[in-house]
Amino acid sequence: MVRSKASITVVFLAAFGLVGCGLGSDDGEDRPVEVSGEVDGTVTLQTWALKPNFTDYVEEVIAGFEAEHPGVTVQWLDQPGEGYSEKVLSQAASGDLPDVVNLPPDFALPLARQGILLDVESADEALHDEYVAGGISAYEFAGVDGVFGYPWYLNTDVNYWNGELLDEHGLDSDHPPATVEELMDQARIMSEESGGDMYLISRKPELGDLVKAGIPVLSDDGSEFVFNTAEAAALLDEYREAFDEGLMPRDVLTDAYLGNSQLFIEEKVAWSTGGGNFINGVRESNPSLAEKIVPSMAFGTPPLYVQGLSVARDTSNPAAAVALARWITNADNQAEFARIVPGIFPSTTASADDPFFTESDGTGDDDAKVIAFDSLAQAELLQPVEVDEAMSTIVNQQISLAISGDVTSQEALDTAVSRLNAMLDTP
Amino acid sequence: MVLLANRDRRRAPHGGGTRTGTASRSIRQQRWFAPLLLVAPAVVWLVVFNIWPSINTVVLAFTNAKPLGGGSFVGTANFERMLDDDQLVYALINSIVYMLVCLPLLTVLPLLLALLVEKRLPGITFFRTAFYTPVIASAVVVALIWNWLLDDRGAINAIAQSLGFLSGPLPFLTDRWLLLFSAISLTIWKGLGYYMIIYLSALGNVSRELHEAAAVDGAGVVRRFLSVTVPGVRNTMLLIMVLIMVSALRVFSELFILTNGTGGPGGRVMSVVMLIQMYSRGFTGNLGYASALSILLFVITVGPMVVLARMNRRS
Amino acid sequence: MPATTRAYAFNSVSPREKVLRYALLLVVLAITVGPFLWQLSTSLKGAGEDIYTSTPSFLPAEPTLDNYVRVSETVPIWTFAGNSLFVAAFVVIGNAVGATLAGFALARLRFRGGKFIFALIIATLILPGEVTIIAQYITIREMGLADTLVGVALPGTIGMLNILLMWAAFRAIPQELDDAAKVDGANVWQRLIHVGLPNVRGMLSVITIFAFIGAWDDFLWPLIVLTDPSNYTLTVGLQYLNGAFSANPRVIAAGTMIAFIPIVIVFAVLQRFFFRGVEEGAIKG
Repeated sequence: MVRSKASITVVFLAAFGLVGCGLGSDDGEDRPVEVSGEVDGTVTLQTWALKPNFTDYVEEVIAGFEAEHPGVTVQWLDQPGEGYSEKVLSQAASGDLPDVVNLPPDFALPLARQGILLDVESADEALHDEYVAGGISAYEFAGVDGVFGYPWYLNTDVNYWNGELLDEHGLDSDHPPATVEELMDQARIMSEESGGDMYLISRKPELGDLVKAGIPVLSDDGSEFVFNTAEAAALLDEYREAFDEGLMPRDVLTDAYLGNSQLFIEEKVAWSTGGGNFINGVRESNPSLAEKIVPSMAFGTPPLYVQGLSVARDTSNPAAAVALARWITNADNQAEFARIVPGIFPSTTASADDPFFTESDGTGDDDAKVIAFDSLAQAELLQPVEVDEAMSTIVNQQISLAISGDVTSQEALDTAVSRLNAMLDTP
Repeated sequence: MVLLANRDRRRAPHGGGTRTGTASRSIRQQRWFAPLLLVAPAVVWLVVFNIWPSINTVVLAFTNAKPLGGGSFVGTANFERMLDDDQLVYALINSIVYMLVCLPLLTVLPLLLALLVEKRLPGITFFRTAFYTPVIASAVVVALIWNWLLDDRGAINAIAQSLGFLSGPLPFLTDRWLLLFSAISLTIWKGLGYYMIIYLSALGNVSRELHEAAAVDGAGVVRRFLSVTVPGVRNTMLLIMVLIMVSALRVFSELFILTNGTGGPGGRVMSVVMLIQMYSRGFTGNLGYASALSILLFVITVGPMVVLARMNRRS
Repeated sequence: MPATTRAYAFNSVSPREKVLRYALLLVVLAITVGPFLWQLSTSLKGAGEDIYTSTPSFLPAEPTLDNYVRVSETVPIWTFAGNSLFVAAFVVIGNAVGATLAGFALARLRFRGGKFIFALIIATLILPGEVTIIAQYITIREMGLADTLVGVALPGTIGMLNILLMWAAFRAIPQELDDAAKVDGANVWQRLIHVGLPNVRGMLSVITIFAFIGAWDDFLWPLIVLTDPSNYTLTVGLQYLNGAFSANPRVIAAGTMIAFIPIVIVFAVLQRFFFRGVEEGAIKG
């Protein structure tokens, strides 16, 4: 949070003429933002990588909003997929954040702590009735009160199997592994049947896998990491033994280029995880593979991935900004978006009974959609938002070291925890 | 300055008398502000886009700055933290090994390549252009191709095993040292074309008469290379050595590409710049520590450059 | 006469040497063009072909130009290429002029502060700039150049590395040429134009290529500076091919190939100048 202590950065940025346009303007921290006014004027909207595939959809939604509120003009800006965090960061640092901006929760957290985002909970009484709890809680952060974004579309992970490879190597594509134990057993069979040439597993566990196994990652007050437990070490040991037995390609240690999904696409391994729309992506690069893919539910607790729309706190047009964010994330518009992109799902409570999400036409794509939708009911945010990119890198490095057998699992976890604690930004 | 300069006088004629005469006259001819006018634009850019951000880096190194806010003065805490950072030890060793291997290879190989494409043969434009393409190839494709080559089930391992050189695959992409050397070969592959064209521009200055005279004297190809070509491009070679050192100590993309950003098991295949990137990127980046690491890298780079300058002065 | 045959042998190439040279050229070619070929072949592959396989095939089974058509339908290629060209031209001219002037002054003229400036240039070259990008953006923004192509071009307009390269080229000119010009009463400007420039054309073309490619290929910096899509440069604009939820690697490869063409042209045109240093310059006489 921006506190009024004279910090060197602020002094420094002041030299660039920055103070007064976003950063360091903490004087208005507790001033309520008036959002109930007339919805008119101009409002800017920033999305992430939706052009050109979804240009028509977004323009239609905007046109609907402008028709609903004559007198309002929406300026839509879409940012490329790559480099988005740097772009948003430079916008935030220079006070140029658009009025409504698509931010995943881990981007929203540091911005919310800086007081740059609007608390939509205090601005919107109906929030909790209209959006699913999991979506809302993704935008609630330890140390700051409020909800800092309207949840937008949701996604989760589904298991994808190369049916042909399973059947070729003594397994049954109708009954892919349903638990981690079955995964290990079947990986062993596949390895034996193929003479060690084909692998089922090509990923190493991540922080999220510890959460799935019920191991707490962060202490309840968010002040320290606590995942260096004996259970966690036992879990790593399981993978470590599997690695030692040769059940995974050695490249898992470095996630060799793009990790398991790339190996899966190259048909060098038979299992990958991906979002509800994974098969469609595979079809773009390797059409012959797409038809062989069999989806099944993720092991344990499925992960929840959330996208949301946040509102800049110092927007000049709060009423229109909040109205626009609500409009884009309302049940109708989200349901339509999910029809255009099968495999993503609305975060609105009203969509729960939509038969589109619960009935499959029998294709792999559609099965995956239904499986993903069913998974969402139990899905949770697996990785705490406090874990940033550098922290996940460090955790992955240590897990990889443990899997490789160079240090014990417990040592690796201890190292990871102590490094992460040193990096943790206590709010 | 002394680093690269002093050998140039080698070309000057030995008749000292006339030379001093013209030199002193030229000082009168040269208006005092003329050089300043010529360097003025460069100095503006130097100050605004290089020195100013550098001062920024130095100041940040003594703070706990984040990209958004934070930034209280923390004294030398960031530098003390380096002492406990065992990842930094690995990174330093890697960077130095990287430099020691790259320096001789990248100094010599591009020069040989330049000699190969120097001669005007039919189709030589095509070869020159093709040799330069690795410099501009996209990282994604480079990653794909090199993984395809170096993977456990990749082309190199497959060929080596089918020829009976190896009984099992070599872990090019997971073993710490093999990974480092795979990255070095990637650097050299990219550097060939880059330094080749710098050498090419310098080869034009190597006097053909000297070459011919040496040939008449019966000097073989190797002798001519060592006694005519190398001295002729000596200045450029020294500059190239500096560039290789700086870029080898700052290696980032090759290691990043081959480890998919993970830095290998335990982060033992990271370079210093990979550490800087890891800490500085993103919303929660620790700019203070990253800046302190930048300063460390600066200090480390100065060392070998001084050595190079000394060697140059002595010879 | 032996001397003339030797000299003859030096200027042209014996058949045996020719074979050897071509053999070596082909070996290096095989090592260097892999990624380029892969990209070219991917961009020509039809929608029914698999792209990522364990044994990549370099020949498209169903060759097609559809992917190129799709790039031009998806992305306003000409607008983006025009923007990139503007930035690249700005940077190339800036470096050709700025780095040449400074390189000449530092290499050939003695003046107060010269050594100091040179040391600073070397120093900034070796201090890593990874942590300064946001500060750089704020500088550009304060100049009122956010979301402009000039703002994208400005920081790279005089590259410190290019000054060093020009400095090295000017140092390599034999002192006697310069002295002769001084005796003739040439002033600084005349010495630069008549003695300096003809002898550094090779390096000038090298820094032109470096500046052009640097400006043309840069991604992160233009992304941060630019906001309005009509100002996007080609590398940023081509990201539209890589949208959320689906990305066709064939079309992305086609986009990369399109971005590649101008670089190849610039290189092919300039490479002939690499050798026109001293051999055609003033030293000839």
